[in-house]
Amino acid sequence: VIRATRRSFLRGAAAAVALLPKPSFAQAKARIVILGGGFAGATCARALRRADPRFEVTLVEPNPIFTACPFSNAVIAGLRNIEAQRFGYDVIRNEGVTVVPQQATGTDAQARRVMLRDGSALDYDRAVLAPGIAIRWDALPGYDEAAAAVMPHAWIAGEQTLLLHRQLEAMADGGTVVISAPANPFRCPPGPYERASLIAYYLKKAKPRSKLIILDAKDNFSKQRLFQNAWQQLYPELIEWVSLSNGGKVISVDAKTRALVTDFATYKADVANIIPPQWAAGVAQLAGVADGTGWCPIDPVTFESRLQPNIHVIGDAAIAGAMPKSAFAANAQAKVCAAAAAALLHGEAPSPPKLINTCYSRVAPDYAISIAGVYHPAGGQFADVEGAGGVSPIDAPADFRALEAAYAEAWFRTITAETFG
Amino acid sequence: VPALRGQNPAEIVAAMQAFRSGQRPSTVMGRIAKGFSDDEIRAIAAWVAEQH
Repeated sequence: VIRATRRSFLRGAAAAVALLPKPSFAQAKARIVILGGGFAGATCARALRRADPRFEVTLVEPNPIFTACPFSNAVIAGLRNIEAQRFGYDVIRNEGVTVVPQQATGTDAQARRVMLRDGSALDYDRAVLAPGIAIRWDALPGYDEAAAAVMPHAWIAGEQTLLLHRQLEAMADGGTVVISAPANPFRCPPGPYERASLIAYYLKKAKPRSKLIILDAKDNFSKQRLFQNAWQQLYPELIEWVSLSNGGKVISVDAKTRALVTDFATYKADVANIIPPQWAAGVAQLAGVADGTGWCPIDPVTFESRLQPNIHVIGDAAIAGAMPKSAFAANAQAKVCAAAAAALLHGEAPSPPKLINTCYSRVAPDYAISIAGVYHPAGGQFADVEGAGGVSPIDAPADFRALEAAYAEAWFRTITAETFG
Repeated sequence: VPALRGQNPAEIVAAMQAFRSGQRPSTVMGRIAKGFSDDEIRAIAAWVAEQH
């Protein structure tokens, strides 16, 4: 029999009390501050208000209008108006969320406080960081913000999307478009290849003597067989993919000459789209929730940061194991995070979640392919549920591809309605 | 496509199970349904049926 001394017993009891959430009376009007109003943050704000109408939910987002990345490749290819990508926060505000049009400049995890650019501050019981990505301007020699005005990344939708679209329109027939695709991890793993497909669709129609080269820092990419199969069918001779092993990794760029340099060659582009290395956006770095990789480690049950107490991280900024950085994943994570944060604030134990992701890519207006996955926490990270998920069949008929293109459109309408109202 | 909201939970369970087995053809639902147990499918169906 082990007999605890009174002193050690008390020490143990004190530790146990310290681990319990604050009593619920203090949490009835719990304050939750969310940083970032994209698919993750906006979804989380609405879900928290629904979870408990007494929660005081504040959404900090400097932009009055959000421009969605999914389907922005269609804007680049001239198949869609950018207005269809834009969403505001009126519905979220009407549901009782306080929307603060400010940039967060930092957090104080001990004081549970978010600092804002105008010098004011917001106190919270729990904070949710959903900042999305930032371009790593330090990672690719020659690629700075001035270079991006000549060789757009178009990986954060908005002006950059329109710039790339205008450059393609202005390019002469017979020109060369070069896309630089980054190493993993990055936002939207199939995105560079969907973009290449839709640009090829435009070129084939409008500038058929042109060429598109993808320089890749990887040897494999999402839905690779399906993309390559479609390229062979729809755009033979038009798209060339240069893998890492074949010298595809871009090591520097020169905006003056629109040149992309690899270890083996220099590619002169008429239109260059540099999709550069990325990391969690600024406020994640300032809040101390990003690790040495630049991304944010989280607990897969609650999405709490592994580095700072009382802060959750969701969406592209989070390290979510097998889950890709997608709008679908961000939306799913936001709902799980809201449920977990509500449980913790009510003094209850959050239950382990199961999440879904589906990413559609369009290779032509009536031809889409998909990848799906189901995920659960395992070994402290998100893992694939075995036997589930996967990609569209390689040998599917045209009506299957057309059906998936229609479902892709329906998905966009559904997820934006769910996120922004 | 009929709306899912407010549908009879037994019908949702049957549909999910048919997607999972491949008996009911689909584009993506079969791939997703394979990730869920019967208990989880029943919980999903009960939740969806409650939505208005």
